[in-house]
Amino acid sequence: MNNRCILLIDDEETIQEVVQLGIEIEAGWNVAIASSGLEGITVAQNHQPDAILLDVMMPEMDGISTLSQLKANTKTQSIPVILLTAKTKAADKNKFQHLGVVGVITKPFNSMTLASRIAKILEWDW
Amino acid sequence: MESFGECKVEKLLLQAIFDRSWEAMVIVDQQNRFVAVNPSACKLFESSPEELISKSILDFFPYSLDTTEEQNIVTIEIPQINGTIQTIEYTKVEGILPTYTLLIFRDVTHLKRSAAAELHLQHQRIQLFSEVTLKIRQSLQLKEILQTAVTEVQRILKADRVLIYQVLPNGTGIPISEAVLPNYSPILGMEFPEEVFPPEYRELYAQGRVQAISNVHSPDANLAECLIEFMDEWMVKAKLVVPILQNIQPKTGKNQVCVRLWGLLIAHQCQTTREWTEFELELMQQLADQMGIALSQGELLENLEELVAERTANLQQEINERLEVEAALRRSEEQLRLIANGLPVLIAYVDKHQRYRFNNEAYQTWLGLSPTEIYGCHLQGVHEQQEYKKIQEHIEAALSGKQVTYENDIPFQDGCIHSVNVTYIPHINQQEKDEVKGFFALSSDISDRIAIERMKDEFISVVSHELRTPLTSIHSSLKILATGKLGNLSSKGQRMLNIADEQTERLVRLVNNVLDLQSIQSGKITMNKKACKATELMIEATQAMQMMAQEHGVKLFAESVSLVVWADRDYIIQTLTNLLSNAIKFSPSNSCVWLLAKMEETKKKNISYNPQGKTNSYVTFAVKDKGQGIPENQLENIFERFQQVDSSDSRKKGGTGLGLTICRQIIKEHGGDIWVESRKGDGSTFYFTLPALINVPE
Repeated sequence: MNNRCILLIDDEETIQEVVQLGIEIEAGWNVAIASSGLEGITVAQNHQPDAILLDVMMPEMDGISTLSQLKANTKTQSIPVILLTAKTKAADKNKFQHLGVVGVITKPFNSMTLASRIAKILEWDW
Repeated sequence: MESFGECKVEKLLLQAIFDRSWEAMVIVDQQNRFVAVNPSACKLFESSPEELISKSILDFFPYSLDTTEEQNIVTIEIPQINGTIQTIEYTKVEGILPTYTLLIFRDVTHLKRSAAAELHLQHQRIQLFSEVTLKIRQSLQLKEILQTAVTEVQRILKADRVLIYQVLPNGTGIPISEAVLPNYSPILGMEFPEEVFPPEYRELYAQGRVQAISNVHSPDANLAECLIEFMDEWMVKAKLVVPILQNIQPKTGKNQVCVRLWGLLIAHQCQTTREWTEFELELMQQLADQMGIALSQGELLENLEELVAERTANLQQEINERLEVEAALRRSEEQLRLIANGLPVLIAYVDKHQRYRFNNEAYQTWLGLSPTEIYGCHLQGVHEQQEYKKIQEHIEAALSGKQVTYENDIPFQDGCIHSVNVTYIPHINQQEKDEVKGFFALSSDISDRIAIERMKDEFISVVSHELRTPLTSIHSSLKILATGKLGNLSSKGQRMLNIADEQTERLVRLVNNVLDLQSIQSGKITMNKKACKATELMIEATQAMQMMAQEHGVKLFAESVSLVVWADRDYIIQTLTNLLSNAIKFSPSNSCVWLLAKMEETKKKNISYNPQGKTNSYVTFAVKDKGQGIPENQLENIFERFQQVDSSDSRKKGGTGLGLTICRQIIKEHGGDIWVESRKGDGSTFYFTLPALINVPE
């Protein structure tokens, strides 16, 4: 359980920090950080994380574009993606599911319970 | 003997005729000398027989004595010394004796005079009648007629006083017109005492009695003592009284005409006593008759005038009232027209045949449709086919008597598509069995509102997104700090951390609630309604709140029911958890909160029904607690935003003040009602209704 690696793609530095710390404290997993979609795709290709936390609202390449590229890339398409979004609308959630995401976590969230929520979504042992 | 006898009788008879005749008879010889004269001849020639015999007739009658065959009676007028004229007629009889001639004279002076007088009087009478009649015709004014009558009668009769006495209903009477010589006192307007005119007199006069009294003091007059005294008082020596009778047509009677004693026409002689002639009597009577007719006419006229005046006044009033009403209507119509044209709204009236019967000026300015041009046109002819199809169902609903409101996008004259809110108000004729005569169509331009709403949504969305990211950081940082893995805090430090954590959680809830409410109210989310088992909803909500209940030491009970509702599962669970959360928060520890549901018949009209269930029933859910209760005056407004019973509740209980508003909005979206029953200190029960489904397969 301790050897899990999560990739967080989010442009917000404070989010990067609290997510990284929270997951490490809660579950002891490694959290790789990417500050943009483009960087995230590269990291995902190179490091093959167990799961990707992807922020929807990002400058330049947003979460949806990033997602479609991840899903279009054979090296990354099998990596489960969980979206981090400020949007709560059910319609949006449905749309995201159609795009191939495995789960949606709505902001604001508690980073100290994030690992357990990821594990629940991905049905990992906890 | 016989012949002798006959001769003798004849002689005697002739002698008698000759001697006794009123006519003057003389026999003259061939030299016109008197041979024989009778006494009447002596009287005519004012001489004795001795003075006449042997004298020539021409000495006494110096006129020609010739007669002709055509004119055997000759009239001779002889002027007298006193200025009068003596009229003599004579006849000459020749051939009775060979040398003698019989002349017969007759003095007809008297006869001629009385004929002339009669003629004159008749002329006067005709003149009087024609004058009176003319005046009657000219004026028809009673007073004038009566005055003319007394003046003329006084003039013709040369009476000292002529008056018209009107009989009053109480038996007395009063002279109402009078013509009197200056030497005598007028008695006009003087009321006669009743005793001088007793009922029996009235009765007699009513029957047409005429009284001609030549001397009031004469026993023949047979006047009552009091009347004689009364006559003396006014120096009356002789009097002539004729009744004025009036034909009246009783209102109740059909053609029966009654005669009424209206009054008396009275002539007084004061200077001397007076023998009243037949002519005078007749004159008075005929005048009285004329007056009677005039009176009837006058009264008819008066009645007619009264009726005309009354009717005229009524008509005038009616006209005035109608004019006022019309003016008020015009003003009102003008005001309405001004209002209708001034309002920034499309206003139209459409009849039951879907034809425009009124359009305000906004149709011209907004849509470029001239109200006069589209008047009477069918909606289908005014609107494009596609547009008409879009609104057809609403038109039909309005014409079936339902008020309809919908939103539509229509192209305006400015080339832009504008959003309009349209309301159709059916015009129902209450008297004709609720027949729909047409509908009023009101369309307001809500483009600005829609734009503002869009801006608001975007603003809230952006703000909420911008809030969520820093909130996530703060929230997570505090949670990490609270683990103690980054070092231990002092107890005060820990307390501060807890406050920061609690308030952050509250802020998170608030942001979530604001967004929820905004999205539900904007109508942008559609309720995903399905058949839901009430028990499942209740159990799920109870389970979700179990943790919180345990924390508060409150027991939750959910009733098991076999009811199915037509609802959006997630939103109803949100409503139930919201209500349960409130109930738990405000319940004392060791108390219970109940969640109940039951089927009820529809009482409220505002529940909309799903097309599948076709139900007239609804399910009422109830969340009941034994908390502090809600004061009565706050039962209504606790469903409003940020309305809490105690303003400190939001801090103490961690509420946002939006929970119940969201619940109400969700229930409204389901076509149900939400309300609360509570007594301060005795707990509260929140109810809401949802359409029930019956006969739904399990």
